[in-house]
This record gives sequence, structure tokens and C-alpha cells, in this order.
Amino acid sequence: MTSTVTIQDRQSKVTRWLLIPGIVWMSLFLVVPIAMIVYVSFWTQTTFNISSDPTLASWKQFFTSDTYTGSLWTTIRIWLIVLATTFIVGYPTALFVGLFVKSKTLSTVLLVICVIPFWTSFLIRVLAWRPMLGKEGAINIVLMKLGIIQQPIEVLLFTELSVIIGMTQIYCVFMVGPIAFMLSRIDRNIIEAARDLGAGFGRIFWKIIFPLSLPGVVVGAIFVSVMVLGEFATSGALSGRKVNLLGNIIVTQVGSLKWAMASVVGVVLTVVMGIVIAGFLRIVDLKREL
Amino acid sequence: MDTAVFRLDGVTKRYGDLVALNNATLEVGANEYLSFLGPSGSGKTTLLRVIAGFEAPEAGRVHFEGRDITNVPAHERGIGFVFQNFALFPHLTVIQNVGFGLTHGKSGLSSAEIERRAVEMIDLVGLSGMEGRGVDQISGGQRQRVALARTLAMRPKLVLLDEPLGALDANLRGRMRNELRAIRERLGVTFLHVTGSETEALAMGDRVVVLDRGTIIQTGTPGEIYDRPASPDVAHFLNRFNLFDGSLSRGSFTGAFGTAAVPQATRANRDVYAVRYDRMKVLPASASTDGPKLRATFIASEYLGSSVMNFFDAGHGHLIEMEHHLSLGAPDTYEPRQDYLLTWNPEQAIVFGREAG
Repeated sequence: MTSTVTIQDRQSKVTRWLLIPGIVWMSLFLVVPIAMIVYVSFWTQTTFNISSDPTLASWKQFFTSDTYTGSLWTTIRIWLIVLATTFIVGYPTALFVGLFVKSKTLSTVLLVICVIPFWTSFLIRVLAWRPMLGKEGAINIVLMKLGIIQQPIEVLLFTELSVIIGMTQIYCVFMVGPIAFMLSRIDRNIIEAARDLGAGFGRIFWKIIFPLSLPGVVVGAIFVSVMVLGEFATSGALSGRKVNLLGNIIVTQVGSLKWAMASVVGVVLTVVMGIVIAGFLRIVDLKREL
Repeated sequence: MDTAVFRLDGVTKRYGDLVALNNATLEVGANEYLSFLGPSGSGKTTLLRVIAGFEAPEAGRVHFEGRDITNVPAHERGIGFVFQNFALFPHLTVIQNVGFGLTHGKSGLSSAEIERRAVEMIDLVGLSGMEGRGVDQISGGQRQRVALARTLAMRPKLVLLDEPLGALDANLRGRMRNELRAIRERLGVTFLHVTGSETEALAMGDRVVVLDRGTIIQTGTPGEIYDRPASPDVAHFLNRFNLFDGSLSRGSFTGAFGTAAVPQATRANRDVYAVRYDRMKVLPASASTDGPKLRATFIASEYLGSSVMNFFDAGHGHLIEMEHHLSLGAPDTYEPRQDYLLTWNPEQAIVFGREAG
């Protein structure tokens, strides 16, 4: 009995030592900065100065100004739309890569092809959409040459649409990856079994394949959500400053040294993300599935 | 056979250059338990998959209940398939698994009727009370029963079982063997059971089909197969014969044991002399005998409950097994590393040869 206690003691000591680097790192670079942002959001901001006198002024300003609340709703709207489009484009892709392609090698090659755009810098990927979508861009030129349209389509660039197109392309792969992974783990025999029992493709998909891929959908949705909610570059470069997400507000506020307002927006954004992730994690028990 | 429910006519299946099934012809009667025995790669699983409709044969026809079903898709054949790894739906409960085919197929039954039938099947395989469990919360043997119930719920006339006991531990395998037979007797459907285990094949099948390299090499009752294996390969798969190479000429076989008279031999493409384990006799090394004799060193014995297996080394690593049934009396004990003389009655040997008529 005495020896068991000793082993347990030694194990818990080892556990503590192993935890220390992680705890120190997370405290210094996550917990302390977040606490700091929350604290700064209550500071008093004047045009050229900031003081630590506590005030609710910045918070009041955020929730009473149409610009700020408007940008909160825009962020949520763009997030939901991009979440839907990445899912609509990503799921069939994942279905093909993860389930229909029988060779493991080929499915790995296809996944790598999906990742190739990431070999260039983020900004180049975003900016590359300008010559594609512009008034005299590739899409308009091709459509006009083919005689499908007479006038260039102007809504393609510097609108909400261009932001959605750009974000869908950039974040789609984060949806494809986790879903394809879950699909590739499905035992092919159970699909054969379902077919042998007389279920058609639709039933097999909705009753077997989709439920079993759901953890992948949730993980993909979390990836996409976290990245889209914090976005500012795509909307900055493709909307012509017409679409202001919370991320863009933070950039401008920080740029004009309005630390208190930037902190308020930062806290709001963090809370929104927290709610979204908590919501997704309620759909499936990831600990059980992965 | 007029009562044949199921017939294979010269079925051939190739994967590239590999011939997985070569001109397989077979008839299966109603209410029969047929076991397919063969080493891995012998084409037994391919045969089952062709019958189920998961694979299309290159040549030959498959007939079922008087109908040519060669081009009929799997789910319209009315043939059930039990997968080796059970292939249960991991996110569904026991009753949802069992009722899956009735709920999502073309059964057209009401949900109350589906539930009644699913419960009936769960009861039949002895899993009452587990309807609501997830399939990851039950044991391997119970999963096997769920897989069987799921197939039987569709009321197939023919059930194909692909190494159904392979994933179970030895103890459970023995019990499920009886269980499978009992369930089959109660329902009166035909079972085709694929296995790599000769014990399982002989114990379970009303008839045994032996396959090797894509070809059916013998079909018969377990007794026929056991007493009159059609070829050296069958004798080898049965794992109940000591096999000796040598040459058969003019009514006598010459091998490691000297020359023995051969009253009758079976035609085969090579000369092989086979003696059943329980036909072997052990004499002291100094004894003299008229029959065939083989000097061998005793290695060890194994107590099997109803019999004792004795292992001898006849030199060059040739292992000879001798089985002593305990019903015939207490076993003799032998000294390890001592030489003995092994002999047998040549009339009980089974001989294969190119010369045989």
C-alpha cells in the first residue's frame, strides 16, 4: 500500500513538471494579454491620450454607434454565409477525396493539391482575386468574349460578394480536410452492408455517411469560423473598404492609437468566437469521436 | 438435384492476371448448411462476394430460386451477407442496426411492424434487453449476433457468412458454432459459411466445399471429405493426415517408411501417401513389424481432453502426428528424445498417384 502511494506521488510530481512549460506559455501569451485587453477596454480615451481611469465610455460608444453594431452584424452575416459556402463547396469535394477515391495515394495527392494555394503568401492569394473579378478582369473578359454578357458585371469586385468569393476560396480547404479525414475512416463494409440491406444511395448518405462525418464537419466549421470571424485582410483588399468587419475596426482603431475602443471590439470578438465554438462543440462529443 | 435453390454455372472471376475463381460449378439445396474451406487466397471470399452480388463474374451464371441473378444488384437478390468484421453501423443502437434494412429498404412495413420484427430477431439471437445499447457498448460475440440478426431480419432465403467466427476468441467461437446451427435449424434457411478452419468447416457443414487457388477441388459431406479426400491438397487442408512424398508404382508405394502395398489409389498429379493421425501405431524402436515402418524421435504430447496428440520427428524436420483416442484406453507414455518405430495398417492408408486408375 505504501509503495502505491509513492508511485502515485511520483507520477503526480512528473505530471506537474510536464504541465509547467504549457502553463507558463499560455499564461504569458494568452491569459495575461486577454486580461489586459479586458482591462484596457475600461480605460479613458481622449483624442491624444489614454489614461487608466476606469470608465464605460468606450463600451457605451460601441453599442450606441451604428458603425460599430453594424460591423458586428456584418461580421456575423459574412461568417454565416462563408460557413455555408465553404460547406457547400467543401463537403462534395471531401466526399470525393475521402470516400469515392479508393486509392489512399490518390486521395493524399488530391488533398495536397487542395493545399497548394497555401504555398503562396496570404496577401497574394487575396490580391490575386482583383485581376480575376475586376471590371476588366479575367471573368468579365471571358464572359464578354463568349458573348454571354454585353456589359461587364460590376458587382464582382469591391462588394460583399467579392469578399465572400475570396474567403470561400481561402478557407474551403479547412472544411475539406477534417471532413475528408472522417470520411476516409468509414469502414467500406458498412456501406456495402447498408446497400445489401436494400438502402438506396440517399438513405445511405443521410443515415450512415453524413452522421459519421459530422465530427469532421464540426471541426471544419470551427476552423473556418475562427478564421473568418477574425478576418480583416480579405475584406480590406476585396471590398474597397465597403465591408467593415470587427477585424477591420480593430486595425483602424489601433492605427489611430484608440486602444480603448480597439480593446472593446477585441473583447466583443472574443466573446462571439467563444459562443460559436461552444455551440459547435455541443453538436458532437469530439472526445468520443476522435 | 431438383431441390436446388441455388446454382453456380462455370463462374469465373479475374482480378487482372489473377484468377480468383476458375469455372466454379455448385448446387446448393434448400435448408442446407454448406461450409467453404480453403486457405487464404483460395477464392472462397470471392465466391461469396460473387454470390452476394458485390462482384460481377467474367464468365458463368448464378441462379437463385430458378432465376438467373447474375446481373441482379446485391440488394434485389434476397441474399443476406454477414461480414467478417460484422460491419455494424457504429452510430446506431442494436435495434436500429437490426431494423436498418426494414426501415430504409423497400420493405414498406409500418414502424410498429418493423419494431416487432427487429425485437423478434434480437430475441432469436439471444440479445433481449440490449435493444437500446450502442454497438460499441457490447462485446464481440454480441456484435456477431447483432450482425446476424440484422441480416436475418430481411428474411433472406440464403445467408452468406464470411468467416463469421474469425473475429471471436476460441471459447466464444465454440459456442457461436452451436448457436449458428441452432438458429439456422429454427429458421430453415440455407447458410453458406466461409472459413479457413478445417475444424469449423467439418463441424458445421452438412456439406463441405473445398477450394484451392480459385478451383473447387472437392464437394461432399464432412464424412466423405474426411474418409476420402479427393486430392493430396484436400488431405493437407484437413490437417488430420501425415503426408509422405514418394513414388507409386505397380501397386506399391515407396517412401521414407520403406515400401508398402497399395490396394487402391486415387488419381492425382503427384504421388502422396496419407495416413490419418489416429491410424498411427507406436512400437518400441527394437520391435519388428511386417508393415511399413518409420523411425522417429518422440518430441512432446498434447492432452486434448478426449484424445492425446503425440508428436514425433522423423528426421529433416518432418513432423509426424499420432492421435490416441482416450476412449480406447489410457495412453502410453513415451520418453522425449527417444526413438520409436511408427507403423500402421497399409489398408487404412489413402494413396494418391499419377499411376492410379
